[in-house]
Parts: sequence; C-alpha cells; structure tokens
Amino acid sequence: MNTKLFSPYVPRPVTLVEKTPLSDFVTRFTFEQDNGKPLAHKPGQFVNLSIYGIGEAPFSISSPPRRTNITFEIAVRKIGAVTSALHALEPGAKVGIRGPYGSSFPVMKFVGKDILIVAGGLGYIPLRSLLFYQLRHRDEFGRMILMVGTRDPKERIFVDEIADLAKSGDVEVLETVDMPDSTWKGNVGVITTLLPKAELDPGNTFVAMVGPPIMYRFVIAECRKKGIASEQIFVSLERKMKCGLGKCGHCQINELNTCIDGPVFCYTDIEAYQEAI
Amino acid sequence: MVDRFLKDSDLAAVTAAWARDFRVLAPVREGAAIVYRLFSEDMHPFLLRPPTSSAKEAILPQTENLFTYKYRKDQDDLTRTEVFLAEALPPEPTLILGPRPCDARGRHLLDRVFLERGVIDPQYKAHRAATLFVTVACTSMQNTCFCHWTGGAMDDESGSDVLLHPVTIGGVGGFVAHAVTPAGEELLATLPEATAPMLEKLAERRAATPEPEPAPDLSDIAGSFLAMFDNLDFWTDQSARCLSCGVCTYLCPTCSCFNITDENYGMSGRRLRTWDTCMSALYTLEGSGHNPRFSRAHRLRNRVGHKFSYHPREFPEAATAPSGLEFSCTGCGRCIKSCPVAVDIRQIVLDVLAAAAEKAPDKVGGTK
Repeated sequence: MNTKLFSPYVPRPVTLVEKTPLSDFVTRFTFEQDNGKPLAHKPGQFVNLSIYGIGEAPFSISSPPRRTNITFEIAVRKIGAVTSALHALEPGAKVGIRGPYGSSFPVMKFVGKDILIVAGGLGYIPLRSLLFYQLRHRDEFGRMILMVGTRDPKERIFVDEIADLAKSGDVEVLETVDMPDSTWKGNVGVITTLLPKAELDPGNTFVAMVGPPIMYRFVIAECRKKGIASEQIFVSLERKMKCGLGKCGHCQINELNTCIDGPVFCYTDIEAYQEAI
Repeated sequence: MVDRFLKDSDLAAVTAAWARDFRVLAPVREGAAIVYRLFSEDMHPFLLRPPTSSAKEAILPQTENLFTYKYRKDQDDLTRTEVFLAEALPPEPTLILGPRPCDARGRHLLDRVFLERGVIDPQYKAHRAATLFVTVACTSMQNTCFCHWTGGAMDDESGSDVLLHPVTIGGVGGFVAHAVTPAGEELLATLPEATAPMLEKLAERRAATPEPEPAPDLSDIAGSFLAMFDNLDFWTDQSARCLSCGVCTYLCPTCSCFNITDENYGMSGRRLRTWDTCMSALYTLEGSGHNPRFSRAHRLRNRVGHKFSYHPREFPEAATAPSGLEFSCTGCGRCIKSCPVAVDIRQIVLDVLAAAAEKAPDKVGGTK
C-alpha cells in the first residue's frame, strides 16, 4: 500500500495481526501500524477503519495508549457491511485507518481521585483504554470501581479479563446481567441497580460511562442522587459518523460535532442539549 | 475597476471565449427547471430567471472522488493482495455563469465549514481556488425570496468575481459587467467599457426598484429556537406535511453535509463524497439501530435549528462577518420554491419567534 498521500480523507495502512472471538458476535482485532509507529491515541478516542470496496466506519480504540508498541486493538460487533467484512478477514490482511480522532477522557483530572467506570454492553470496549491506562499508573489514582452490565450472560465480553481484574484487588468490580440464565449466579438487573450497592465519596469521585443510549439518563440520575456533580461525569456518545473531521454533519448535536468536540463529553457541556442523551 | 458592457447577443460568444480557458457551467432550461450544464457552443445560457439549483455544485460537487483504490494480487503469493491508493485529480479551472447574489454569498458559509474550522478540506480548497463566479444581479424579488432577512440584497456583490447588472438601453439588452475581484476583471478585459448613459440607466433602474417588505427582527431567533426545542408538538405540527424528500437540502446553497461511500468495480474502485440530507432518517441511523432523530419532527427541527441557531452559536464571529451572514441561510428561497408540499422556512422562523415570545413574554428582545 502506498503511503505518500496527504488528503485527510485518505487512510494509512495497518495489518491485522490477531483476531480473538469475545462472544458469538463480538471479536477483538489487533492491528499493527505499517508505518512502524505507535498509534499515539488517548483513552476514549476512535479510528475510522476502511475496507476498500465495502466502506469506512468509526471504532473506539480498546487498547490503552502504548509508548513504543505499534499495535492497537478494537473490538467489534458483527452488525453491518463493514463489520461483517472485518470479521471475514484473517491475520495478515491489510486495511486502512484514519485517526485517532476525537476527544478523550481527561485522565490528568482523575489523578488522586476515585474513578467509577460504568460499562453497559459494548461500552467496556472504549472504557478499557482508560481502565488499563489507569492501571499502568495505579499509584496515581484513588479507588477504581468498575461496573459492568450486560443483557444476558452469553453477551458478556472480556469475561476472563474482568474476573482477573476483580481478583487483582486493583479494581473493585460489580457486575450484573438483565436477563439471567441457569448458569448465572451474580447480580440481576439493569446497570443502575449496581449504583446503590457501591459506597462512593461523591466529592472525590469521577465517573466515566459508556453504554447504550438508554443507559445514560438513568445512570446519570443515580450518580446525581449519590451527590456526584455534573462536572465529574464524563460520557462517550455514539453517533453515526462519516468524516471524523467535523465536516460531514452526521454526528452533529446542536452546534457540537461529536467527532471533534466528542465523543467524550463532560456532562456539563451537553446537559442543555436534549438531543444529546 | 472600470465597468464594462456585455450585450445579450454577444453572451454566447463571450461565454465560448471563456470556455477556452475554463470548464464553464451555464444555466439552461430543461423542462420547467433551469439547471447548470457544461457549456457547449450550441448552447444559449438562460439568465432571465434564477436557476432552480444552487451554484454550490461548482465548488462542492454532488459526487466526487476522494480517492481511488486498486487491489493487486501478489504474483509470488496469489493468496495475498496489495492495495494501491491514488488521490483525486485536482479540479479544472471552472467558471460558473448565472448564479444569483444569494448563491455567491453561500460560498462564505461553505468556507466556514471547509476552510475556517478545524482541518482544512484540501479538495474543497482546490475547487474554491479554481472557480470563478460570474453572478447575475436580480432586478426583482420572487415571492419566495428573502435574502434581505439574512443581510443580502438583489445586487450584493459579496462572494462574486463578476456581477452582471441587467440593463436595456436603446432597445439593446445586456449587462453592465462589474468586476469584483482581479480575476473577474481579467475575464472582462476584452469587453467594451460601459458608457455613461448605460450607467445612468442602471442607476435609474436600481433607484426605481421597490424596497422589499421589511425583514423581521431575527436578533432573538437563536435563543427562541432553543426555547422551542423540546416542544415536539410544535415541530410535529410544522413537519406534518414534510415528505423527507430532501430537495430543500440538495438545492440549498449552504447545506454542506455529505456521505462517504465506496463504489467497487471488481479489483478497483473509488471512495466517493456525495451530498447527503439530514431530512432522511438514514442520516443519523446508527449501526446499533439507535436513531437520535427518529421522526420528521426531529429532522425538520434540525434543519431550521442548524441554519438559525446552531450555526451562529458554532461560529460566534459570524455575527460581525463582513458578508453580514450571521445565519447559515442566504435567503435564496429555493427550499420554499421547490418543496413539493410548500413547507416554508420563513413561516417556521416566524412561528418559532411568536411561540417563544408567547412562552416567555418577559424575554422578548432579551437574551440571544
């Protein structure tokens, strides 16, 4: 793949190096940058991935920033044209990426503070980049609490990883499923039911949440009930995106472009926009 | 710069001369519509009425390549393929004949999105630099026109390279051709100078042109819109007739939203940028099935809001722009004229102002 093109719409080549199924529909893809450089992203950012002839779509970066390692990960649910084509690829395949794009979780603000990470469904995928960044600098942060909610046990992703996190003692893990089956022994109910179970220091806790659109309003309300201020709540919003450059208009929410002003927003910056959440 | 004269009967020949140096887009009648077509010598540009389509296609083509790609099999290992990408070709020098001042002003609004915020869009920049606007001043306002609501006028020269003022003198029809930019002046170099009687005649006509009905006070519209934002009954009512056909956005000189798709031909293909429309439900439909603007009410609200509320808030400097364009609308009226069900953005704006005033009477004329 040639690389000396300058338009911001032209992707650069990356190579698929590993493919790991996480559930019936979700797979983790590890890519290596052909330019030999680390991706240099920040937790919460995304890339636009191209499979030429099928199309281009945005995906959250799931791996934490890496200083020298030239690989990065995304985790994708097979749901449309690009994601199905991606699932059909085997290691060695070349695809194009643009980015990293968008805003990130303000990790410097979280230093010395407790962090509550609320992951609904596939929301764990982007939050992983924050979680593992913080774990690498574990001493610099206070308590780390992870709440994971999934529709049913079969849909759970990163199951072993989350179990290991709980065992490590570095992260307090609370998990729930909405619709249990006979194998499930844990909490049952939507993710909001986990919040009353956690004792939080509201003045000292930041919240980072990603999940399905319906989740935000309820989790935010629970956080506010706990006394956590809007300035301490960070959300990442999903929108249809095309260009990633603030031009094409698809991801616009009032005067904000989710691709450049977001996807990570402090709740105070979007509270007034009824279309945001 | 000296004003010159372009006789009606010389129009085709002068355009043909321009076509030696430029790709010329000229308006022609096709059925009931007036559309821009690539100029050819057998064509007579039709300048009597404003074109049905806006002139934005000259600088933001309806469809264009972002790049092309080619897959090639590795001859040593046929299971492997390589991809080669090639950037789009630079645009040809282009001249668009026949836009109206509302179209030319639309260039400023496209510039804000593509050149003045964040990443510069190299393809738009190249089109913009390669394109001249030879604009025709209006002599009257159609009943869908409202350029004066948005700081425009029938003879506004902002955004044009040449402004052609229609005049008839001694039974000879033509245009006093006024160069606005040096590139425009060069275009007119071979035309005879306009005579004093021509200029007098033009001044007389302009003086005799009746003033339009005064524009409403829009200083409160951005805030009024937000005050009405969550009143979905209001928007459901306003959008009751809307068919989501999107013609309003395609004909708009300032709508700049686009889609990006691939068109594949076997082992090669191209990535395209194509005009898109926020009036379509697919525009915001996410892969998960979630759609933040799932009803026509949400979508019409977005179009009105983007033009009159989001844009001035996104570009606060617009309030004092030399073009006078505070809103993302030049008042061309195409969205009204071509709407199959007569949705009128002017009426929506007035209804928003009235409803917001009713909601909070103490706030009238207050915060923006």
